[in-house]
Amino acid sequence: MLDASQRLTVLARTAMPRSLPPEILDLIVDHLHGEPATLKSCCAVSKSWVPRTRRNLFARVELNAHTYHIARWKKTFPDPFNSPACYTSTLCISDLPTLTVTDADVGSWICTFRNVVHLEVLYVGPVALVPFYGLSPTVRSLRLTHCTPEVFDLIYSFPLLEDLALVGLLPGSRVDVWNPPPTSPKLTGSLNLKTRGIAPPVARRLLDLPDGLRFSRINVVFFDDEAQSVKDLVLACSDILESLTTSYRPSGAFYSAPVTGQYLTAICRHRHTPDGSSRSL
Amino acid sequence: MVPHDLSKATKLKHVWFPQTGLWSSVQWITMTLQTVKSKNLRSITIYADHFVPVRVWEAARQEWNDLDQLLVQFWSTHSIRPRVMHPAGRDLRDRVRSLLPELTRRELVDLVER
Repeated sequence: MLDASQRLTVLARTAMPRSLPPEILDLIVDHLHGEPATLKSCCAVSKSWVPRTRRNLFARVELNAHTYHIARWKKTFPDPFNSPACYTSTLCISDLPTLTVTDADVGSWICTFRNVVHLEVLYVGPVALVPFYGLSPTVRSLRLTHCTPEVFDLIYSFPLLEDLALVGLLPGSRVDVWNPPPTSPKLTGSLNLKTRGIAPPVARRLLDLPDGLRFSRINVVFFDDEAQSVKDLVLACSDILESLTTSYRPSGAFYSAPVTGQYLTAICRHRHTPDGSSRSL
Repeated sequence: MVPHDLSKATKLKHVWFPQTGLWSSVQWITMTLQTVKSKNLRSITIYADHFVPVRVWEAARQEWNDLDQLLVQFWSTHSIRPRVMHPAGRDLRDRVRSLLPELTRRELVDLVER
């Protein structure tokens, strides 16, 4: 006959697991998302905790070439196969001019980001985007700033791409040379265009896609000379369009700019004419 | 001024007009909304977020009044209660209310400070 303490010991050995089920551990670590200090401590608990912790620690990676982030990343994770890049779902890279084509070599640090879903490349500038072509087949959201028209080759290299945001378009060498790709990305999510001059070239390329346009959400700011392009874009997506955020800014009207935290409204002194010249109001 | 043609956007649910305050764009909003045929439309949001001098508001009064009438129609036909966001301040709130007299009188508009 067992006494109470013996019964408890037997119960503990038989009914209580020695460690929590992995699903519960995953759930606990997932709740620590956004607390990097705690996640780093979790990494030191045991080897089995490392993958689930890294999945949260490296879910979003921001690399700024200007501040040597990329150099540090390469130094910290010299072996691409042991890099935590495979856990990254959001990758944000800025100040690209320091990147080179060799960064795209097989087994290079960029190629290890193979599970990225949201890709942001800021201040692209007139540099080759080859390192990012087809970076991750799972990319569904792409945000690019200050890019050249060559960026469309990059856009079309992501077959599952749904959301596209372009801010600032620089003159490129292939503005008038344009061959539509044989197949289109999905492009069923959102389209964001918020910079003057970006709508016409973007519209020209998107409207040429063989499978047509299917954005369900459009967010666009445009001026007089871009109105027709934007109208065509919206019309092309009419069949599935669910949300439209749009602002039309007539040339020569009023404008505002944030000044020391407050909005300052002023009157445009010049009205722009279609030929690009301006005259006083 | 080329308004959007939303007559074929039959699944359209939400229409947002940010940064409204440029007087011509009020007329453009009205023209665009006039093309809406969607029966699924659920919300219309207008941001009157520019601090515009009083004389400019007065110049745009007729255009705002046209928009006011159209939004009242949307209430009648779609049961949509438009939301107008504006800068903080009682004066600005009153000014927006004066530009949308019918909506204000019938309490058919949500004014939201941002």
